[in-house]
Amino acid sequence: IFIYVFFFFNSKSFPFFLFYESKHRCEYVCRVKANAGALTNFEVLDLLNSRGASKDTTRVIASETVSRSEYKVYDYLMETAASTQTRDSVTKFSDKCKGFKLAKAEILNIINLRPSSDVELTPILEKPDEREIDIEGILALVQELLPPLPTVEAHKENEQEETEDGEQPNMETSV
Amino acid sequence: MFCLSEMEDTVRVPPDLLNLPLEVAIKKVLQKLLLNKVLSIGLCVSIYDIKSAEGGFVLPGDGPATYKVRFIIVVFRPFVGEVIAARFKESDSNGLRLTLGFFEDIYVPAPLIPRPNRCEPDPYNRNQMRWVWIFEEQEYIIDDSCQINFRVENISYPPVPTEQAEDAKPFAPMVITGTIDDDGLGPVSWWEGCSERNNEDDDT
Repeated sequence: IFIYVFFFFNSKSFPFFLFYESKHRCEYVCRVKANAGALTNFEVLDLLNSRGASKDTTRVIASETVSRSEYKVYDYLMETAASTQTRDSVTKFSDKCKGFKLAKAEILNIINLRPSSDVELTPILEKPDEREIDIEGILALVQELLPPLPTVEAHKENEQEETEDGEQPNMETSV
Repeated sequence: MFCLSEMEDTVRVPPDLLNLPLEVAIKKVLQKLLLNKVLSIGLCVSIYDIKSAEGGFVLPGDGPATYKVRFIIVVFRPFVGEVIAARFKESDSNGLRLTLGFFEDIYVPAPLIPRPNRCEPDPYNRNQMRWVWIFEEQEYIIDDSCQINFRVENISYPPVPTEQAEDAKPFAPMVITGTIDDDGLGPVSWWEGCSERNNEDDDT
């Protein structure tokens, strides 16, 4: 069961609304530039962090600047490679990729996904067999410049701590 | 999967917000208007910046001040061919449904699930069907145990229905169709340790 409300505005510059339970559709006609630049997941996460998304664990105080739906994006991004990346590593990687004849979209995808093996990298590339792409080279560059994924890091840290203290600290399991 | 989009529109700032700095007030109005809404260019995720605001006229008989605003928003719009990490949400006889948390209308229809496969009633969940991939006599179940990578096949914006039955699913204004039928796609646990196996083959 859902409730929907119609709003009509007389002036033609107002959008035409249709409200539904969750997602809504908004017919916007005044668009200047549909694509003003692609963003990596890291850049979006950085933006949310700059608004204070990471600082307030109760999420009440920061709700002035970060809305609930933005927190959902933040939660998603924190589980991806973006959460361990730095601006420096992403810029460096993107520069060095120029030698590999990759499309911009592919470089973006690699940064977002951080593939660590051949089989993880190939679905990102378009027609890799026809293009003679240096898969090993790209993977080596990923390994060198992009920080490892968050769960891998947690595992490694815990392993080291275990050998040092002999105790198992609380491990955050990703669900 | 995110990009910036520059837009221009007339924004009415209601009188109760006029004590705030202009940029904050306009941002609040824009957030209410656009945040988490699907536009023709994708899902608006955040208001990035306000480039310019001019006007501020109060039209006769109208309380709010009207501004002509140029602003930039962050839009979620994956490109076709992009590989995205998602989580399992539910499955039925038509296929899988995946979620990103902030976006939940990702469907993998049955033809895009690797074959041979079979669909059976889920023993853990009476209402659901479960998909199982059969490869080299090994069975690989698709469930919520780990992250699922899929590749975007298509993004569609279905037209808003004028009528809807009472028990129909809520209308999804933006639907992503994905595939997991390729090397490296599907649950990540399927491919873990694959590179080690490849290295062994190379050595022998």
